[in-house]
Amino acid sequence: MTSRLRKFKEAAFGYGFLLPSLAGFSVFLFYPFLKSFYLSLHSMNPRGQIVEFVGFDNFIDILTSDHFYQSLKTTFFFALLTIPACIFIAVCLALLTYKKNKINLIFQLIFASTIAVPIGNASVIWKLLFHPTAGMFNYFLSLFGISPVGWLTNPAYALLSVSMMTVWISIGFTYLLLLSGIKGIPEDLYESAKIDGAGSFSIVRRITLPLLSPVLFFISVISVISALQSFSQINILTEGGPVNSTNVVVYDLYQEAFVNYRFGTGSAQAIILFLIILLFTIIQFRLSERKVHYS
Amino acid sequence: MKAINWKMALPVLALANVLVIQGCGTSNSANTPNSAASSNAADTSNEAPVTINWWHAMSGTNGKVLDQIVKDFNASQSHVVVKATFQGAYDELLNKVKATMGSKSGPALVQMNDVNTRFMIDSQAITPVQTLIDRDKYDISELEPNILNYYTVNNQLYSMPFNTSNDIFYYNKDLFKAAGLDPEKPPATFEEVEAAAKALTKDGVTGYAFYIEPWDMEQSFAKQGELYVNNDNGRSGEAATESLMNSEAGVKTLSFWKDMIDNKNAQFFGRVSADAQKAFTAGKVAMLTGSTGALRGMVEGAKGKFEVGTGFFPIPAGSSKEGGVAIGGGSNWIMNDKSQEEQDAAWEFIKYLSSAKVQALWHVSTGYFPTTTAAYDEQIVKDNLVKYPQFNAAVEQLHQSKSNYASQGASLGVFQEMRNFYSTAVEEAINGASPQEALDKAAKSSTEAIQKYNDTNK
Repeated sequence: MTSRLRKFKEAAFGYGFLLPSLAGFSVFLFYPFLKSFYLSLHSMNPRGQIVEFVGFDNFIDILTSDHFYQSLKTTFFFALLTIPACIFIAVCLALLTYKKNKINLIFQLIFASTIAVPIGNASVIWKLLFHPTAGMFNYFLSLFGISPVGWLTNPAYALLSVSMMTVWISIGFTYLLLLSGIKGIPEDLYESAKIDGAGSFSIVRRITLPLLSPVLFFISVISVISALQSFSQINILTEGGPVNSTNVVVYDLYQEAFVNYRFGTGSAQAIILFLIILLFTIIQFRLSERKVHYS
Repeated sequence: MKAINWKMALPVLALANVLVIQGCGTSNSANTPNSAASSNAADTSNEAPVTINWWHAMSGTNGKVLDQIVKDFNASQSHVVVKATFQGAYDELLNKVKATMGSKSGPALVQMNDVNTRFMIDSQAITPVQTLIDRDKYDISELEPNILNYYTVNNQLYSMPFNTSNDIFYYNKDLFKAAGLDPEKPPATFEEVEAAAKALTKDGVTGYAFYIEPWDMEQSFAKQGELYVNNDNGRSGEAATESLMNSEAGVKTLSFWKDMIDNKNAQFFGRVSADAQKAFTAGKVAMLTGSTGALRGMVEGAKGKFEVGTGFFPIPAGSSKEGGVAIGGGSNWIMNDKSQEEQDAAWEFIKYLSSAKVQALWHVSTGYFPTTTAAYDEQIVKDNLVKYPQFNAAVEQLHQSKSNYASQGASLGVFQEMRNFYSTAVEEAINGASPQEALDKAAKSSTEAIQKYNDTNK
């Protein structure tokens, strides 16, 4: 009896500690999620009020429309343009600056600094850089006699331009993670490799990168999630245009829900996106079991 | 050297911009709950003046003038206190209004733009001003008939027009002279504009500036006397069910723009009207269309460089149907989830806004039209027309409009969505698709959206 009570007390104590975060999650995560699911099964009137239960009609509408696959394609393309480039650049920068000295300290500060820039502000600044006549990029091109590029107005360049900006802003966080990862690698491994006569390239390839793989894996998971959920920069820079060339899923569902006030189809889109992201994360974890080296 | 310095200042400007925007955001969110609370307080007491909230979409200069008008009104009497709050541009404002419909936190009076008129009616969350006009036998004979037409649906005036504008043609008189064209005779048809653009395009100048403005296409339909959506533009009792933007009038208009761009006689500015206007005041492009709201800025921007001329919005040669300009701008709506007392207070304020004196002040300080013809007798309006004779073209264009379903403009609940489809179609056409093909696609999407709206509008 007493041991049972003690066990219960202990468990209650533990749950008590979990309570604040559970409350937070409930308000900001579980409730909205359940509500989205509820909304996704209904149709709305133009004021955004529920009209009737429609079952899975919203999902069927979305999955049978070309428009959705188009925006899904754009989203994946956006992920492909941003994630590898961002990780590659951040790894290079981290490898160049991880050694402890005063100059590196300055570079570390600079390379990590984009972490402190709110994405809204960054988008506004980049919008000016991309400006067709007054922008800095076209000004530099004109110095080389290259005719101006419609960075955000030409459907062929718009996604690339948004990706450039996204890579720039994501580098700060990625770099910081990689830097701490590299710093965590024991110095003696490098020393013994050097004694064995390894060149700096093979040290990176055989020691640094494998030992960095848990960090790289973590980065790849959160990068995929955040790329598939990108919204702010697209909202400010292109509003999904031109010709839907930057209309990623989240921007599209935002339009559907908060501009057209069709919360039903908007929520259904959000749930489909959630399932896609879930699938990707599971795949990544499965792959990582074989590839990631946890020391 | 000067140019380089300016470019280096851009990021700083951007930062300043962001700070300003953030400032606005916080002040808004702080205002709303306060003002809502005070309006509730007004419900319970009969002695105190009635406080009403007015949500609007006017920022910058227009916002300042509007605040002044509200201040004057509050000082002029002791029964009603109006609290005006800027809630973002029309789209943003509409979203906030939608979110508060049926709750206590909404305003008593809302300014909304022209194209959301049908949505506001369908929402059933408003009191038609017609009922108050009828109750008080309020005289609307002096209100501008062409403006009233737009806001009259099923023979009822649902909202009171407040700020109205009009789409006109702007041109650079000096460049016209240099190209051997008559600077006093603006081109009136597509063909004349195209010929002028060809003559004007030389020495680093491009003849025409084109930017995507769905209003231009709607205007083109109205001027040609063609319907933009079926069922008499959705105005004769039956709701519209089909978009007609891919009809001949639309294809002709889009081909006109596309051909000029393809022949390099026009420069394309994407969706950014400000960029096109900047190029115009810099003398880099010679012609464009735009709102009367931009007139003052263009004339001031061109000061000392060249003379700005204005004309009517062009139409294709030989179009014989009667039409006219469909006005743009906004009107004020009384929300019906407020007490009668508050609605009456809002109505008092609306009457004040429609007076000749206020409309005259509003007109000369913003570039919007007076909604009442009596305003033209006010001295400040007369002075303004002397100072900006370019405004005459706009006034004439409005007064010459023949009122019919076409020139009243389309009335439907998914206007904003339809405009998005249209803008995408223009982008497709300019990037190689044929105008017919692009507009067919946009019309199809629009029709689907209209039908979805009609199906769920219960």
